[in-house]
Amino acid sequence: MKKILQLTLGIVTSVGGFLEIGSVATAAQAGALFGYKLLWAILLGTICLIFLVEMSGRLAAVSKHTIVEATRERFGFPFFSAVMLGMVLVAFLVLVAELGGIGLSLQILTGLGFRWWAVPVSLAVWLLMWKGTFSLIENGASLLGLVTVSFVVAAVKMHPEWGSVAHGLIPTVPGDQKAKYGFVAVSILGASISPYLMYFYSSGAIEDKWDTSYIPMNRIIAGFGMTFGGFLSMAVLIAAALAFQPRGISVEKFEQAALLMTPALTHWGFYLFALAMLFACLGAALEISLSIAYFFAQGLGWSWSEDLTPSRDSRFSFVYTAIILVAAVPLILGVDPMKVTMLSMALTAATLPLAIVPFLILMNDPSYLGGHRNGWISNSVVAIVILISFVLAVISIPLQIIGG
Amino acid sequence: MKLVRDVLDKKLTDREKCEMGRVDGLLMRVGERSQPRITHIVIGGSTLWMRVHPALARLSVRLARIWGPRRTEPITIPWSRVESVGKDIRLDVKARDTGALDWELWIARHVIERIPGGGSEEEEE
Amino acid sequence: MRLKGFLAGPLLFLIACKQPTTAEKLDSVRSWLETAGMAADAWMHHTTPDRYTRQTLELSQKTLAQLAADLRKSPTPGIDTALLDTVLTRSGARLTEMARLVQTRNSPGLRGQLDSLRAEEAIIRRLADAAAPPE
Repeated sequence: MKKILQLTLGIVTSVGGFLEIGSVATAAQAGALFGYKLLWAILLGTICLIFLVEMSGRLAAVSKHTIVEATRERFGFPFFSAVMLGMVLVAFLVLVAELGGIGLSLQILTGLGFRWWAVPVSLAVWLLMWKGTFSLIENGASLLGLVTVSFVVAAVKMHPEWGSVAHGLIPTVPGDQKAKYGFVAVSILGASISPYLMYFYSSGAIEDKWDTSYIPMNRIIAGFGMTFGGFLSMAVLIAAALAFQPRGISVEKFEQAALLMTPALTHWGFYLFALAMLFACLGAALEISLSIAYFFAQGLGWSWSEDLTPSRDSRFSFVYTAIILVAAVPLILGVDPMKVTMLSMALTAATLPLAIVPFLILMNDPSYLGGHRNGWISNSVVAIVILISFVLAVISIPLQIIGG
Repeated sequence: MKLVRDVLDKKLTDREKCEMGRVDGLLMRVGERSQPRITHIVIGGSTLWMRVHPALARLSVRLARIWGPRRTEPITIPWSRVESVGKDIRLDVKARDTGALDWELWIARHVIERIPGGGSEEEEE
Repeated sequence: MRLKGFLAGPLLFLIACKQPTTAEKLDSVRSWLETAGMAADAWMHHTTPDRYTRQTLELSQKTLAQLAADLRKSPTPGIDTALLDTVLTRSGARLTEMARLVQTRNSPGLRGQLDSLRAEEAIIRRLADAAAPPE
């Protein structure tokens, strides 16, 4: 009975925690510029993420190590430090984007610019981590994040041509704007396959004391949770395709994205968008801050637990405090969160091999996984998608600069 | 026992299962005729950074001189104190006595406890 | 492989700062005129609040002004630059007026401005199609 409750909660939190400014901004841009043609990128990214999240849970349940701990122990500190540098830098940029997303949501609700919200928002996020427990953060933020289900309602209400939608699930090459298309595809993949999600998930599994009996449940949570989450992203793309593409509006600023659900849901659509983004970005900001702090604490052997009072794991608490404060600085200076979002999503895709290659090696190591090692399907799916992401990133980015 | 795989970078816990850091380095005695033997486990910033690049090790020593508990030497723990080597390495010591928690306590006292709601190390004991 | 990952950073920075072409700038002008129209229309149907609508109209006007300045600096042969300049100036002023009308809650006035804005947007569309590179 307890397991069924945990299972339901697990799926619900995965769904509620899926969308954040990256997935919304990239999906909205994709829909506005290319209609349904980039749905395949969301599909591919989501499938890959399902496998990666399942693996993260399995590693924790079987080896009783988080990904970070296992990476340091298996590969040694020098290699680990390179991974840590790359992952922390990119995650930091994403954190700036998420805090900016909260600020922008408050901006469209109140009229007060996001720059003014930077400090209060950072303080609020920090306070939740300072005083909160892991369960409160994981469950609370994600339950609030369920407001994002309104995107599905909006998309359905706009009566898309489902045949064309299905067509979008098959990769096609567009007639023109190839470089831009590639760039947006890369950004979608980077938004879907976020390494911080894996680190957070494996840490959560350890905090919740998972063992091998949780493996079936882990599969269901990863599978259903991420699938529903993927549907949410697709809903954003479909809604954007119907709301913006016919009008020729390309979504460069948050103020434009805010109109996404207004054709379908009128004033409800406006307020639901703002709330959905607010909660989604809040959840993401909390997860990313924790993930970065986990990297330091788990990698360097400090005590780490969101359930302890801060002085019991002072270095861990110090790291997330410092990160959140520093992340507010670009926003105070007026750096556009939407630009940071697109940049960080593409950067994530380009640096995926750094996170995933060692992870795949771990998942095939018998001393960590024993009889629960990866099968050929898991290995193939992940390897192929990461290769595609990396190749696309390396090709489309220079083309976007030179060509365009 | 394969040194690198079984010992290096593993997590260390003390008598009371308190986390003490990780094995950042090993001191070994290499005899003329005998096998190399581990004499000490080394925990400490400069040892760790030396494995990446000596310049980083020098930087960490310089920073340690001006900030924190002012410990510039790494912590060495005799191999005889090792109780078991498994998923983690259990040591027959008390973490606080070894100095492994100096940074943790320093940051707790000078930063965390100064912030409301940070709690107190002494309270919890 | 890791090195390529780190090289992606500066490349991506460049991409964010890349200069758009004339066709792209005109598409952007259209996009912002449509955004203003969509926001104004939503406001008249009581869908969006006053402050957001006014700020979006002001943002559209500001962005339009920047794009207009860019287009003036690098005129493209084959485009009626005089007409473009006139339309852009008129639209800019219109957007400022629309923001004021939202502030004073003048819905009928806004309706009139919106219709004129749509006409100007149609002119920009024709110019954008003329500027687009051949397939």
